[in-house]
Amino acid sequence: MTLIRRALVAIGVAGGVAAVLRLRGSGGTPPQRGGWRELDPSELR
Amino acid sequence: MRVAVVGLGAVGARAARQIASTAEVDSLVVSDPKADRVSEVVASLGAKAEPGEVGADLPEADVVVLATPGEAQLALARTLVARGTSVVCTADGMDVVRGLLDLGPEAEARGVTVAVGAGFAPGLSCVLARFASKRFDTVDEIHVARLGTGGPARARQHHDALGGEAVDWRDGGWQRRPAGSGRELVWFPDPIGGADCYRAELPDALLLVPAFPGVGRATARLAATRRDRLTARLPMGRRPHPEGGLGAIRVEVRGRGSGGIDVEILGAMDRPGVASGAVAALAAVEVGAGRALEVGAAGLAALVDPGRFLGLLADRGVKVARFG
Repeated sequence: MTLIRRALVAIGVAGGVAAVLRLRGSGGTPPQRGGWRELDPSELR
Repeated sequence: MRVAVVGLGAVGARAARQIASTAEVDSLVVSDPKADRVSEVVASLGAKAEPGEVGADLPEADVVVLATPGEAQLALARTLVARGTSVVCTADGMDVVRGLLDLGPEAEARGVTVAVGAGFAPGLSCVLARFASKRFDTVDEIHVARLGTGGPARARQHHDALGGEAVDWRDGGWQRRPAGSGRELVWFPDPIGGADCYRAELPDALLLVPAFPGVGRATARLAATRRDRLTARLPMGRRPHPEGGLGAIRVEVRGRGSGGIDVEILGAMDRPGVASGAVAALAAVEVGAGRALEVGAAGLAALVDPGRFLGLLADRGVKVARFG
């Protein structure tokens, strides 16, 4: 009985950790150089 | 040219307004199940616009823009193609887009065009991909990211897309992955900036792969918040908003040209409902005027001259930016 209870608790904790990791993600790096520039009409033709 | 718009929601009403202000268009028929909505739109559009009869068959026109909720568009497009009328569809659901592309052989046999996914993304994103590819001899990869939604129908599609199954093109085959996975920080045009994007059930790759034979990878990602991802597989808890805020798209094309391997990144920022209306209207004018590059069913990457299209779109206020 104790074994089953511990297993259930472990599964619950692992599920909670997985859910937090899935939602939070692991960060990211913004572009280090460059930027957005609107295209001039002459560049489109 | 006579154009019809079926469905007067956030996208349809904008498309109707853009079409009515186009010199090449002589008359515009608008129809919607809500009679008061039709009267309201006709009254605001001036002399060119006339109401379609409520409950009548689809209006007669050189080209018909379908801006109804996605599921209805397939049956309507099938009827129009059988009648020999060209169609511009704004639906962006995966199953609807597949069904519309399947109309290709019949459309080709009848000499008509079915423009599939003529909205913000897919739609403008396909045109940007084609424009970006002009500097390459060979296109290796196309990656599309989208942020924001237009009207309520698109908000529902956004919700469903995060709970479905993403389909990416990778090394000559379709790869299915769970939507909501594959987090990537994507930098959209200012003032949107960075947003986390995830795989989602988006049809962009279905439209891009046939338009770029030999492409190695084609993927689409959708910007989402933590709450979006947490609730994606649940029913929508509240009614979707009537109109979304600012949205953006970013299209990254990798390819090989005379200078070796390179990357071109283009983007656009606008209210998705407004931009979708402008794209659908412009696509309808191009198709109705016989300027579509091919008959059959295809996305805009295969149907329009990208430079001309983006130039006309800029005249209508939808601007394109390059990252570099």
